[in-house]
Parts: sequence; C-alpha cells; structure tokens
Amino acid sequence: MTTLEVRGLTKTFHKIHAVDDVSFTLTAGRTVALVGESGSGKSTIARMIAQLVRPTSGEIALTGPDGEPVPRRRYRDNVQMIFQDPFASLNPFHTVEHHLARPLKLHGRPRTEVPHLLERVSLTADFAHRRPHELSGGQRQRVAIARALAPGAKVIIADEPVSMLDVSIRLGVLKLLARLQREENLAVLYITHDLATARHFSDEVLVMYRGRIVERGPSDDVLVRPQDPYTRRLAAAAPNPESRFSLGGQP
Amino acid sequence: MTWSPKLGAGLGLAALIVLFGLFGPLVTGDPATIRDIGLTPPGGEHLLGTTVTGQDILAQLAHATRGSLWIGLLVGVMATLLSGVFGIFGAYAGGAVDEVFSVFSNVMLVIPGLPLVIVIAGFVPPDQRGTGTISLVLALTGWAAAARVLRAQTLSLRNRDYVAAARVSGEKTWRVICVEILPNLLPILASQFVFAVVLAILSEAGLSFLGLGAANSSTLGTMLYYAQNGFALQREAWWWFVPPGLIIALFGGALALVNFSIDEIINPRLRDKARRRRDVVAVEAEVAPVEQDAVLTVRNLNVVYQATTPVHAVKDVSLTLRRGEILGLAGESGCGKTTLAYAINRLHRPPAEVTSGSVTFDDVDVLALGPEELREFRWVRLSMVFQGAMNSLNPVTPIRAQLQDVLRTHRPEMSAPDRELRCAEVLRLVGVDPARLGSHPHELSGGMRQRVMIAMALLLDPQVMIMDEPTTALDVLVQREILNEIKRLRDELRFAVVFITHDLPLLLELSDRIAVMRDGEVVEYATAEDMYLRPQHPYTRQLLASFPSLTGDAGALIT
Repeated sequence: MTTLEVRGLTKTFHKIHAVDDVSFTLTAGRTVALVGESGSGKSTIARMIAQLVRPTSGEIALTGPDGEPVPRRRYRDNVQMIFQDPFASLNPFHTVEHHLARPLKLHGRPRTEVPHLLERVSLTADFAHRRPHELSGGQRQRVAIARALAPGAKVIIADEPVSMLDVSIRLGVLKLLARLQREENLAVLYITHDLATARHFSDEVLVMYRGRIVERGPSDDVLVRPQDPYTRRLAAAAPNPESRFSLGGQP
Repeated sequence: MTWSPKLGAGLGLAALIVLFGLFGPLVTGDPATIRDIGLTPPGGEHLLGTTVTGQDILAQLAHATRGSLWIGLLVGVMATLLSGVFGIFGAYAGGAVDEVFSVFSNVMLVIPGLPLVIVIAGFVPPDQRGTGTISLVLALTGWAAAARVLRAQTLSLRNRDYVAAARVSGEKTWRVICVEILPNLLPILASQFVFAVVLAILSEAGLSFLGLGAANSSTLGTMLYYAQNGFALQREAWWWFVPPGLIIALFGGALALVNFSIDEIINPRLRDKARRRRDVVAVEAEVAPVEQDAVLTVRNLNVVYQATTPVHAVKDVSLTLRRGEILGLAGESGCGKTTLAYAINRLHRPPAEVTSGSVTFDDVDVLALGPEELREFRWVRLSMVFQGAMNSLNPVTPIRAQLQDVLRTHRPEMSAPDRELRCAEVLRLVGVDPARLGSHPHELSGGMRQRVMIAMALLLDPQVMIMDEPTTALDVLVQREILNEIKRLRDELRFAVVFITHDLPLLLELSDRIAVMRDGEVVEYATAEDMYLRPQHPYTRQLLASFPSLTGDAGALIT
C-alpha cells in the first residue's frame, strides 16, 4: 500500500514560520482534508509535497505498495498535484492533448492513453484538440485532474480544487475526485477552507492555524464536535440558514 | 490572429519593399557602370535618372535596399537572441544569475547607443569594417531595452500555475522555458524583432551617411552619403536622394504599423474601440406603480453589450427594494448580477447599454438624470462597495485623506474639524479604531480595508448601499464579523442594502428577500424564508444543493 509520510515539516520564510513542525500520513484509499484560512500554510505544505518548494526542515517519505521506500527519481511518478485556479494551471498556448501527452511521455506511458484519461474524468475524446480558452472552468479542472493521473500517480495533492469554480459545478468535480479516489485506491490530500465539503469528502481532518495543526481526527468528530477554540470559531462562522429557519423543514 | 487594415497595409508595404530588395538587383543591371550622362533627370532609359557619374539610380536603389534589409535582418536576429538569453533565461533562473544579467542589461541600456556605435565604428579600421562587424556593433548596442521587457514578462509567467504544473510532471528546465514559457512570449518577441530591424536600418543609414558604414557595402545610407558628396541637394538632383530616403521612411512606417497590430494582439484593450454612445437612453414613458415604502424600483430593465454579437446581459429584470431592507442578489459568474448593479447606478460603460426599462429612486427617474444630478445622486443617496474594493484604496495616501476627499467633494460647506469628526464617526460605526485614520492601506488587514470601504460608503448617509461580493475575498471569520456589522448598521441607520454574491446560504441567513439570477434573468424572487423552505425554480434548488451543510448527514453526497 502506497503511503506518504510527512514528519516534522517546517518552512521558514524570512524568519516567519509559514509551516511549523507538521506531521501526518496519507494512505492509499483515504482522503485527508487540510483546512484553514488563507495564510495558514496549507498551500506551502502542498508545494513542499509537490517538490516545488524546498522544506526548511523535516522529511517527506514515500513508501511503495511493496513496503519499500520509493527512489527519488520515481517520486513524481507517484505524487501529483491539482492546482487551485484552472484558468492559470493550463498553458493557454497548448492543446488539451499536450497537457496530457507530456506527463504520459515523461513517465514512460504511451500517448494513446490520452482518450482513456479524458474518459476517466468524464470528458469525451474530442476534447483533446481543444485549447484551454475553449473550455469552461469545470472542464479545465477535469483536464487538470487527468493531467495529475497521467503519470499513474497514487498520491494526489488537491489544493483548493473547486474554490475558483462556479458553485453549481463544485460538487460535481468533488464527486469525480471521490470516485477516482475509490476506483484507483488513491491517497488524497484535500486542501480547502470550506469545512462542509471537508467533512463530506474526507475521512480525516487536519485544522491548520498559523502554520501549525491545532486539531486533527476523524472528520465527523473534528467538524461536528470541535474541541479547539479556533476550530469552533471557524465552524460557527460559516453561513448557516438552518439556525434562522429552524422550523424543521428540509430544503 | 485578428486581421486589421493596419496590419494588412503594414505587411503589404513591407512585402513590396522586401520583394524589391530581393528581385530588383536581378533585373536592374549593374549599379556601378559609369556613363557620361551625369545627373540625367528621371525618365526614358533611366527610370529614376542617374548620379553625377551617370550611374543608374534605380539599379543603385535596388542594391541598396537589399543591403539595408540584410543588415536589418542580421541585427534583428542577433539583438532578439541576445535579449532572449539575458531577459528570459535570467528571469527564469532567478537568484544571482538574474541579478547579474539584470545589472548587465541595465548598464547596456544607459550607454547611449548611437555615440557608442560611432566611436566603435570609427575605431575599427575601414578595411575591417565589414557588414558583419557593423551588424554586430548595432546588435550589441540595441538589445538591452528588449531584454528588460522580456525579463518582466518572464518573471510574471514563471509564477503561473501551468509552469509549476509542468515542473510537477517532471519537465526539464530547458523544456519548461522553450515549450511552456517561450510560446507565450512570441507576440512580444515578434514586436521586439520588428523594432530591432527598423532601428538597425535607421542606425546603419546614419552611420553610412557619416561615412562610418561597412566598407564596400551598398546600403540606403551609403547612397545618401554619395548623394551628399555629389552635392545632389545643391544641384537640385532630388531624384538622387529622395528615393533612398523614401524607402527608409516607408519601410520604417510599414514595420511600425505591423508593430501596432502586434501590440493590439498582446493588449486587447487597445483593440476595443468601444462605440461611445449616449449614456442615457429612451426611458419608457409610463412609470410603473411604485410599491409601498419602496426606495428603489427597477422595472423591466434590459442591458445589452453591443458587441459584434450583442450579449443580452440583463433581461427584463424587475425588483423592488424597500426602506431598511436587505435584498440579496444571487447568481454565478456571468449571470448579469454585477451588470445589473452597475446599470442601477448608471456606472455601466459602453459597449453596455440600457435598452429599455426604468430605475426609480424614490420619485427620481435615475436613467434620465443629467451628469451633475447623477454625481449628486451617486454616493449621496446611493453608494456602492465594489468587489475587491479593499484593493481600490489609494496605497500612497492615508485613510484620512481618502475619507475626507469624499466629504470635500460632496459637502464643501463642511468645516475641517467637522470633517475629521465625521470620518472618525464612520470608522467607529464599522468597528475600526479612529486612531487608524492616519494609517496607510498597506498597514491594515484585508478585512479592515474592506470595513474602511464600507465606512466610506456610509459617509454621506446614503439611503441605499449596493454591495457587490464584499466578502468573497475574505476569510470566513472576517466575513462573519462584516456580516454582523452590516446587520447592526442596517438596524441602527435604517438604510437599504442590495447584497450581491454567489453564496446563497449567506443570503438566506442575511437578507429579507432574495432574487436568484441566471443568464440575465431573475428566475426566482421570494422572501429568504420561502426560498429556503419552499424553493420553486429547479435552478434555485440546484444552487441550494450545491452547498452541503456542515452538520447534515455525512456521506450522503458521495454516490
């Protein structure tokens, strides 16, 4: 079983601890949600795991299904990232096919896989020849998900994958991620500021505040019965029409 | 690429001159043949006349054009390569490499080009002054400005997520630069290349005219040099110096036109020649009956973006805002909610146009207001907090000056101490310490800046405030504080609010009534309670279902 273990991860920018001694484990078949407000260090963790930012200290250890550590040069075959803004994460100059064929080629897979990849994210094969500006936000994000799957990744870091999308298509994209996670037995780190989707789409929740994890545990425990004062404030702040119209009716 | 008359004319003219330079020398004979028919005016055997030594000017012009174009091309390629290496590679590599490259191009930039060229060209002995040497000198003195532009653009591109994504998929650095970044720089590179070519042809002409050009070369500049030495001007032999001058001017002009068109491709704002129409349009004569206690009434409002294919952004919208009411306007991106808000305030800009309908504020017909009345109406009676307003504060002046400006404009009779008091009062209203009046915007957090913007909107005691996504860019804890503030202020000051957002649960909690918009239409308009308990339109239900509840059944969503 593929596992990614993060131990004592710390990142300091100009003497400020953006991420301070964070440890957690991602396991195949499970989704861990990392919640917190902007500036809490969530994205820095994502970028360190994706090897875009070098940690100041701490380690990120990847273990393959055979229980052996995965060698460094195989790291990117296994760990991929989905970015927040699908309008920025696809190169406007290139076709969808380029975005999928390159990672396939780099990780030794045939480019004939492209239609299959598109199908897995519920897009038709004719999307391959389109360019990003011809796609809607949701379609772009599906392409970005397909790109992350292309190298055959087993660990997916999804950094706010739906916060830039229109509200009516957000759940669709999250459900797609959840389905892929089950079908491919992926380990997913779901980074979000939205507690409600964190609860519904993850098994475990880590709450971050100023670079540290202040509360962690099974999603239902942490988000429905929060213990930490910060998590409580966060949970209470979300708009909640139920409290206003507590007439018992369900929408 | 968009084809414009400018681009067509530029490319056409440049192509004609290039063709003349390419094929002219093949058909015009030997330019150096000396005949005893010096200074024959144009016509007959010699279409453009002859020089003082009887050489055919047309033949000379063809060879000179070819020579000048060749130098232009050489310098263009070299200068673009140099600027690319120093600009793009330096910016992508970052750190010390970028630092050194950047300092080097800045030094090159401040060295005055033409004088240096003259010194270098004068220093190299004439017999070694070949076309290659001259081109190299011109390229070396002409690449730096382009490198700076490319560096700035690359610095912005290298931070794009698609570059990060390419790195995460394991692309090598050179491939990231060449395949992911370079294509997005092509319009800039093309424009820089064209500019370098024009500059090179002009500089070379200047050098040759001074007698410092390449030895044994024939360019438009050397032609002018010989014309000058042959006293063409004094002898009124205009046919000797006008044609080469004209070719230089036309080619420069043609490439400038091409460059303008490239600029328009890079920067679509230049292309958008919005048709300036009359701001006010025909207002329907009959004024609809006004609802009891209504402060703002919108009736059958239509707004159309008059583009090549007109976009009907607001379709037949009717809404009523009562005194002290919070009206929620919900919808997704592109549904027309912001266009509607702008039209109510008459802030819409061409190509947007109100085609029909009415906006009535108390008894005032807003769409019929003149410019002066409109200025009085906005902010005094109806104020607006824009999306991302917190970033629209002027960064270089303190909060105090920005608040006082509003008072100074709209309440000129107010004394300075009164203004100070009023500014402190509105800040207190939105929960910001009045001591902050002296702060600059960057010293305040995002939430605080947004509160200052709300305070600014409150300054003149407006009856209506339109808030367009005022909390979308803020964290939930800050959003909660600002929402509480809006509710409290509404209760204290009894103004009405139009609150625009995509966040339906937020509106259900905050507003009295809600209008749900989709594709420019209001699909459902009901009280918050009705909308929550008995949503009618399928789209409303879909929106409601898009926001899972934090406390509801877990796992119900995963199917």
